[in-house]
Amino acid sequence: MTTAADDFLDLSDIQGIVVKAYSRFGFPVARYVLFRIDLPAHGRKFVVGITPMITTGVRWTDPASIPSAATNIAFTYKGLKHLDVLDASLHGFSDEFSMGMKARRDIVGDTGPNHPRHWDPVWHNESETGQHVHILVTIDGKGETEVEARYRQILALLVECPGVVQLSGQRGGGSDDLPYQPAAAIPPKPEEAGFPGGKEHFGYSDGISTTFFKGCGADPMEVIGEDKPVKGDPRTLEGWAPVAAGELIFGYPDEAFEYPEAPGPPLFSRNGTYLVYRKLHENTGSFESYLEAEGARFPGGKEALAAKFAGRWRNGAPLATFPTQESADRYIAELSALQLKVWAGQASPAEQARYQELALQLVALDYGDDKDGARCPFGAHTRRVNPRSALRFGNKKAFADDPGALSNRRRVLRRGLPYGRSETPARDDGDHGIVIMIVNADLSRQFEFVQQQWITFGNDFKLANDQDPLPGNHGTSKNCRAGGRMII
Amino acid sequence: MANQSGNAYALALLCPVRAGAPPAGFDGQCQESYAAHLRYVLQSVRVSGDSPMARVPNTYLSRFFLLDDVFYQGSPALEEHLKSSYLVFCCNFHGELEPYLTGMWKTIESEVRLILNHCVGFSDQTVRDAAAFIAYIKKCEIKTTFYFNGSTDQPLAEQLKGLYLKQEFSKFAFENQGRSAREIQEAFGEFIKGTEPENTARPAWKPGVYDLDKVVAK
Repeated sequence: MTTAADDFLDLSDIQGIVVKAYSRFGFPVARYVLFRIDLPAHGRKFVVGITPMITTGVRWTDPASIPSAATNIAFTYKGLKHLDVLDASLHGFSDEFSMGMKARRDIVGDTGPNHPRHWDPVWHNESETGQHVHILVTIDGKGETEVEARYRQILALLVECPGVVQLSGQRGGGSDDLPYQPAAAIPPKPEEAGFPGGKEHFGYSDGISTTFFKGCGADPMEVIGEDKPVKGDPRTLEGWAPVAAGELIFGYPDEAFEYPEAPGPPLFSRNGTYLVYRKLHENTGSFESYLEAEGARFPGGKEALAAKFAGRWRNGAPLATFPTQESADRYIAELSALQLKVWAGQASPAEQARYQELALQLVALDYGDDKDGARCPFGAHTRRVNPRSALRFGNKKAFADDPGALSNRRRVLRRGLPYGRSETPARDDGDHGIVIMIVNADLSRQFEFVQQQWITFGNDFKLANDQDPLPGNHGTSKNCRAGGRMII
Repeated sequence: MANQSGNAYALALLCPVRAGAPPAGFDGQCQESYAAHLRYVLQSVRVSGDSPMARVPNTYLSRFFLLDDVFYQGSPALEEHLKSSYLVFCCNFHGELEPYLTGMWKTIESEVRLILNHCVGFSDQTVRDAAAFIAYIKKCEIKTTFYFNGSTDQPLAEQLKGLYLKQEFSKFAFENQGRSAREIQEAFGEFIKGTEPENTARPAWKPGVYDLDKVVAK
């Protein structure tokens, strides 16, 4: 028997999409494909057929073990029912899962312009005989060719299982009827070429921080700033501890020292989790014109305003650490240049050390020295969705032994990529946004809570009913201008 | 000895399953783990009278399962984990360990290999004969005091014959209620002729079968 081992997770039985942010492994292209099961036996045959293709969480230490494309699979509640999963197991799923996201729309803020009636056609017509989304297959690849090849391999399985139907009806490229959702990382600007992360359509560097959990196998240094804050200095290893694996995966103890609630028998759910799939359109035209108009009146200009929205400058530098654009630009320029050298294997030991130091600054912060929100506003997107120690509001006595007491059980994993192309000049009505997938073990306590309380409400940040300036649902007025507000 | 009670032997094994997964499956990815594959193998082992263990002489009862990890009881208990998954094999049989294992090797070597090849230290190269198999099993054996309560410590054939006779005699008693002594005596003669109490080989219950309608081997 061993204790506190780092390798207790059964990574070969956990899907790769849970453990790995694929974009960090050079997989910038993806397709998300949806299926319906008409015949349970064919559904099961399809699952058996696709199983060897499924990418697991096993570490990619040897470059030869990295596949050309990664495949992962998820099921809706109805999908599991159509696979003839036993009722006794189905009853073990949470209401949030069995009801589906449409039925939870008021809780997650999918009202007004975000109402399910505006979702892609594939989600409509859910009568008994109509389209039901049962299976999601994700394909992430090194390039379009690799993704296309894997897509063909998966579709070939359908020949033997005509009772499984690929669902078209995803919106994109001027069509309402795409057979799959394409997605791709937006490359960084040339001057940020070495920055470890892509852009999204509002121009922000994205995918910077990911939740570090026990046993995930990432570099132990990545624990800093990526998980739960503890008593020590947030700039060092002493300031952070990994989140319990049970917050994110069934079958392991969670932050309450219990196994997360999951359907039985244990073998059915162990190493599984809940995955939320959301396609979020971005109103790039409104966003840019708002930044232009308001930025002209805002100290520091539009970039400073954009940074206040996100809690990070659009180049990725955290506002709490780099309060001026000049300091942020200088920091990212140095980090990006060093990153390129590190990738090329040309960094000297001194440069390596400097690179490590700079890379840490991307995430090694807990808002302890910005308790009034003077640098990073309380309502900024990243401070809302991952408050770190911010919910102590600077009171060191509050949760003294556990600075993240109010946020540790709200952590989720973020996966997904941007989709579509944003026009220049920016317009709202194009096909562009992000597909975000949220992974967590408790939909209600984690995803829905963050979405409801921290994104579409503001009380926890002493901001009444202010919403998150970016993914918040600000509604639309007649001229399609959002009606939100934010205190900076 | 803890593992022996009279002529009954309780064998309990914890065989560590190989860590990780075989390399180079689909598209260069790792294949499913040794443990996951072993689970499929165990689930596909036929049961009851078709079980390979039914062919191993003198087996009272046996079961395999895969132990992934130990359960955590919650705070304030320490969170502990096993160093690997384990194949757990529990078996009660008549007689001594080595002759029993030799019998197992002779009758179901291929099935044993199919299962134990997933375990640390067991391969076609390291275990070539019954002696090496016995040595391997002894390394994985743990002490136990748990016995299958439904069995005596007699040889299996005698127990199966005894169970058969008991079943048939109950039937005989039911069928001959209210008949005259002479009729009963005649019927009993037929009963003895049909059931051959001295012949342990047959008719008797079949090893491994627990369905009463299918249990009798004529």
